[in-house]
Amino acid sequence: MAGSASLRQIAFYGKGGIGKSTTSQNTLAAMSHYFDKNIMIVGCDPKADSTRLILHEKAQDTILSLAAEYGTIEDVEMEQARLWGKGLFDKETPGGWINCTESGGPEPGVGCAGRGVITAINFLEEEGAYDEEGLDFVSYDVLGDVVCGGFAMPIREGKAQEIYIVMSGEMMAMYAANNISKGILKYANTGGVRLAGLVCNARMTDKEYDLALELAQRLGTQLIHFVPRNNIVQHAELRRMTVVEYSPYSDQAREYKELARKIVYNDMKIIPTPISMDELEDLLLAFGLEDEVDESQVGKAAHEA
Amino acid sequence: MFVLGFHFPASMGNIIPDEKVIEKLGDVDVSDVKEIKLLMGTKDKDKEWISYTNKDTFLFKAMVHYFKEENPEKAQKYMIYMNRYQMSAISKRVDAADDETMKLCHNLDSMEQFRIEVA
Repeated sequence: MAGSASLRQIAFYGKGGIGKSTTSQNTLAAMSHYFDKNIMIVGCDPKADSTRLILHEKAQDTILSLAAEYGTIEDVEMEQARLWGKGLFDKETPGGWINCTESGGPEPGVGCAGRGVITAINFLEEEGAYDEEGLDFVSYDVLGDVVCGGFAMPIREGKAQEIYIVMSGEMMAMYAANNISKGILKYANTGGVRLAGLVCNARMTDKEYDLALELAQRLGTQLIHFVPRNNIVQHAELRRMTVVEYSPYSDQAREYKELARKIVYNDMKIIPTPISMDELEDLLLAFGLEDEVDESQVGKAAHEA
Repeated sequence: MFVLGFHFPASMGNIIPDEKVIEKLGDVDVSDVKEIKLLMGTKDKDKEWISYTNKDTFLFKAMVHYFKEENPEKAQKYMIYMNRYQMSAISKRVDAADDETMKLCHNLDSMEQFRIEVA
């Protein structure tokens, strides 16, 4: 494996739309700014939105788009595919730095997006990106819930060793978290990947903390942090910035700082114990988020029940 | 594993016994504190001050520790959501008989923001 022995390779997984890219960039920004960590982001989402807040850009050129432009991946230069963060995260700025890459993907409806992830990681390894002096963390921001084997690549190939699942107290987010745990379990023995915790990117629904905590405990892991919803995140995003940079003394920046601290010092990396769909539904019932439905009522409209 | 911001080694598992957390608060001095004042709410909504004075509880000690940590100027401090949820969860187990504490836990369990001061 490329990189030094002390290099930690982490990944943020979670259901689409849950706020992975926002959560990961804000957290990585806090790790860099408050804890002087040097980080490389590998965006593994065809949307290529895993680095925009660090770069203050709409979207950087992806490795696949550059390969398409030049005709072959061999003609792509590292300087084009990997950009240094702006502002607080530049290499010349005191404190930690962040550099950014995006794998990219095919046009919607065409080809396999997961292949872009594989191509990008291979390219970065061959070009020595993992051997950058002082690099402390590589962070993968990965789309979806690993039903596609391509997106499982960072865990399948043993690239990412610590997985943080971004979820919320909503059923499908919890379903995805459980599914990702199944993916980690599948590759835990061959690749050494481990689940390092759940991050609840809160929707501020009833009993959300209790529900997220219970799921974490059932999976054998920890709820590493509960990130409350706060409009300042959107305000910062409009300026293509992380909250850490936009408003470093804000309440939300303190939340991301605390999550960053926990990741930096986290030593809990486990093989997860996924639960069945029935257990997941029972969990939602137990916390009152679903009403128990009599079998005779299934499939009946409201006026029939 | 992190509870109230304290790190517990992974070898302790993912459910930390309450007494281990209470142990961590063993050295917290509450003798110079008479009252904890909590500001509940956000700037977009009505705010409410809550006074808490029961010094004999886990919650009082945990809050004083939270306030004093990295706060030499003793300035009003934002409460991290997860820390206060954890404080409430433990309090409901160890101080269940104390009505004042249970009432405050009910508030702490909400989605409102809290700020803390001590007097």
